[in-house]
Amino acid sequence: MKKPYEPRKPRKYIGGYRPRIDGYEKASGQVKYVDDLTLKSRYPDMLYAKVLRSPHAHARIKSMDISKAEKHPGVHTILTYKDPEFASLKPTSAGWTDGVDTVSYERMMWRHFKDRRVLGEKACWATDEVGAVLAAETEEAAEEALKLIEVQWEVLPFVLDPLEAMKPGAPVIHPEITANNVLPKDAVGGSDVFVNKGNVEQGFSDSDVIVEGTSVHHNATQASLDNWCCLVDWKVDPKDEKVTVISNSYETDQSRMHISQMLALPLHKVRVISSYVGGQFGRGDTGDQPFFLFTAILSKRTGRPVKFKHTRRESFHDSRQPAIYFGKIGARKDGTITSMYFKSVGNSGAYADHTMFALKFAPTEISEVALAHIPNIKMESYGVYTNKLPACMMRGVGNSQFNLIFGHVVDMLAEKLGMDPIELALKNFGHEWGSVPDKSLTAVLRKGAEQLGWEQKRHKPGEGPVFEGSKRRGVGFSFHPAWHAEWQEERRGLIQVGITVNPDCTVMLEAPTVETGTGSNTCNVLGCAEALSFLGIGPEQISWSSVVDTETSLKDCVQTDSAVAYLQSEVIAHAADEIKKSLIEKAAQILKMNAADLDIQQGQVVNRKTPGQSTPLKDVFFKGDLAPVVVKVGKTPNTERTGVPYIANFAEVEVDTDTGHTQVLKLVVLNDCGTVMFASGAEGQQIGGQVMGLGEALTEEIIYDEATGLPLNFNWIDYKIPTMADMPDIDPILLEIWKGAGEYGACGIGEGTVTCTPRAVLNAIYNAIGVRINDIPIKPEKVLQALGKTRGQL
Amino acid sequence: MYKSLAGLTGGQLANPAGPEYSILMQSIQIRINGKEHVFELNRDITESMTLSYLLREKLGYTGLKISCDEGACGACTILMDGKAVLSCMMLAIEARGHEILTIEGLPKDDVVIEAFARQCEPGYGTALQCGICTPGFVMSTKALLSENPNPTLPEVKEALSGHICRCGCYSGVAQAVLNAAKKTGQEFLKKNSKGDRS
Repeated sequence: MKKPYEPRKPRKYIGGYRPRIDGYEKASGQVKYVDDLTLKSRYPDMLYAKVLRSPHAHARIKSMDISKAEKHPGVHTILTYKDPEFASLKPTSAGWTDGVDTVSYERMMWRHFKDRRVLGEKACWATDEVGAVLAAETEEAAEEALKLIEVQWEVLPFVLDPLEAMKPGAPVIHPEITANNVLPKDAVGGSDVFVNKGNVEQGFSDSDVIVEGTSVHHNATQASLDNWCCLVDWKVDPKDEKVTVISNSYETDQSRMHISQMLALPLHKVRVISSYVGGQFGRGDTGDQPFFLFTAILSKRTGRPVKFKHTRRESFHDSRQPAIYFGKIGARKDGTITSMYFKSVGNSGAYADHTMFALKFAPTEISEVALAHIPNIKMESYGVYTNKLPACMMRGVGNSQFNLIFGHVVDMLAEKLGMDPIELALKNFGHEWGSVPDKSLTAVLRKGAEQLGWEQKRHKPGEGPVFEGSKRRGVGFSFHPAWHAEWQEERRGLIQVGITVNPDCTVMLEAPTVETGTGSNTCNVLGCAEALSFLGIGPEQISWSSVVDTETSLKDCVQTDSAVAYLQSEVIAHAADEIKKSLIEKAAQILKMNAADLDIQQGQVVNRKTPGQSTPLKDVFFKGDLAPVVVKVGKTPNTERTGVPYIANFAEVEVDTDTGHTQVLKLVVLNDCGTVMFASGAEGQQIGGQVMGLGEALTEEIIYDEATGLPLNFNWIDYKIPTMADMPDIDPILLEIWKGAGEYGACGIGEGTVTCTPRAVLNAIYNAIGVRINDIPIKPEKVLQALGKTRGQL
Repeated sequence: MYKSLAGLTGGQLANPAGPEYSILMQSIQIRINGKEHVFELNRDITESMTLSYLLREKLGYTGLKISCDEGACGACTILMDGKAVLSCMMLAIEARGHEILTIEGLPKDDVVIEAFARQCEPGYGTALQCGICTPGFVMSTKALLSENPNPTLPEVKEALSGHICRCGCYSGVAQAVLNAAKKTGQEFLKKNSKGDRS
């Protein structure tokens, strides 16, 4: 048995090792995902929607003939980009918000880059959804009919590489936004140089040692198993028009706002329902996907419920943003960093969406926390349109890309200074509200080193022992500031929860959030049991509703920043006093006593004047009107600036220098959590994130045919996600060193667990073979090329 | 034999009174979760219908999931005659005369389901997060344990490496399988020792 973590403060329920509250329901296959909820048998008059997809990487529709398709048996309606329903719609983006806040059209985060039509005539990447949508009685009829639409395409020159796209004469993809494919400066992301602290050039002049390097992050995809799916039922009745949307969007409130604003419907006429979702990982990122709108328009036109569902191939819909980073650090001989400079070029793909979030927003945050003690910093970024699939949010957005260069130059600098990179990190990095060495960073690095055997296993790059004739081992690590603490969640505004205490003292908790697998539902129930411990109840006496329905639920707290694990529990802790007060008042009313004399302890009503005497609360309630006691509480996040804790990954690898194959032998994943809310869930996140992190490091990449611009591996046979057989032994280590504001003072951990994995593995590969490779995924051919074992270019 | 149907349209077959119907009508018998089903070809099922489609869309067995729909992820795994099969890669008519078991056919207190649901042992995380791949893992585990009641960790990894869990709960899954094996073994011993006494 592995060692459990040690809580800073033992609590009854919070922080426990226990099963998930939805474990049985999920393991037994009873949980219904959206595709299960929208079977034809449940909606007999349902139609299936399909959208035309571009066979070209860059093309414009010159003309279209839908007459043959319309005659295909089973086809109900075909609408094209020329129909007023679509032609009249405002241009939009699929990046209204990062999910933290609910925003209107006017306030969308990247409002300067409204580069999408809901259904347009121009395709900006191969398989772009353009031109025509149709609804048919069966999926087969819909698919067949699509093939009968005759399109005259004006095929345009395309570009896949962002550096090529920046050159004069490159095909211009969104002339309405930019004449040279480079996303212009905007109010949210700031100018190209978005961080400029101190004097970077002076800082480099003052340094004794300078290192510089580059890293390339290719586009992995979120690959949720639950492909995008929605059912829209637009009831058109002059007296009662209403649109109901059942979907696997993880943002019900934002989806409602999006549909309302784009289709000019009042909010109360749009009802959005989501329940369990089979994985999210940032895809989308939001409820602002155009397909919600064209499915709705098809439903309005046909008067029937319409289902739109992506196939797996079509669910290759967005990706992590590929980024090329250049990094440079200068330091004094003693290891004091004097200057840091980072420049990046991000491949935004066909649409801007959240490109600037990854390139500017996330690195700005890092400069404010991890790099707060570095006197001179300059960061500069360029987001560039190309004809690849749009890059958007993915677990660890922006941070994963930044860590790949950050951990690289730190490792290089340590080597040049002859320092252990752990000592170099501790000397320089912390956060704005603390001193160096940072306690949290010290803990994750020291503990990680101990667990991996850093001292014993580390050797000079490429000079370790050789195993089985050709295999070399090495160790490496990377670290990163975690996100998000409560203060970083300010934009969320009011977080709402509802608690209903039944007469028998069982509890119905309303902590609306779309459960995407994160386990925040279990955190909420544990938090509720903890806060209501005066009722003498445990998690088993608390129910949690998995359905979020904008018509009946409070506002949903969106699963972004991995922060829902503690945000709602903080509100529940805050609400406990209010609930207790209401319960005491009710008991006093029933008992005809003075509320000020009463208290509730362990489920018993006690009279302060007569200690030793008590009556079970439920006995008291059963003498009353049997109405449940309900409180609804809203609270905005605590904005006290507490800094953030640290995360780190340590890796041991074995590289076969004959085949180029890299085998990861061990991963140690460390998260300072502030407070561990649910230990088994948190360790599940630490372990689980490594599938994505290791996939990105070694195998996952979308591959394009350079000659045609067509993606070649939109399937899970050629796009390689690690399976059980590919994963090494993983040690998850939870720590509670830092503490944020609030009762728990926790921070989100799930998103960050993928962030340091690629760099830790890359540094370990360097330690093993003595040659640096910085272009992930590290496929065997790249290792062989780095070792000079290939002829010509790969 | 199915080639003979190729030239006929659905319209011709839809008329039960038509002469073609009686000739072409074929019964496909499949036992699903212990219950005998008889499907009429071209009425209840078509030649090109996958088994997963029949089970999910026609019969409502939504415990099996369709994600990749091409045999790469394992989410649609069910048992046919006790062996794990990918229901998205089989035609419904191929199940003729066979015994199909979906996760709905397992008892409520199934040892494997319980082991996946309850996994929380320190150091391994939970055996599931979003849960969409879990029924597939459970069914493959049923097949594994029926063939190999006491698998080693490498054997578990090999048997379940046809499944993708994007949440990445492989450590928890392996623990759940090993725990289920342990429990199955204990129950087997208990049953046998009871048998000895009687």
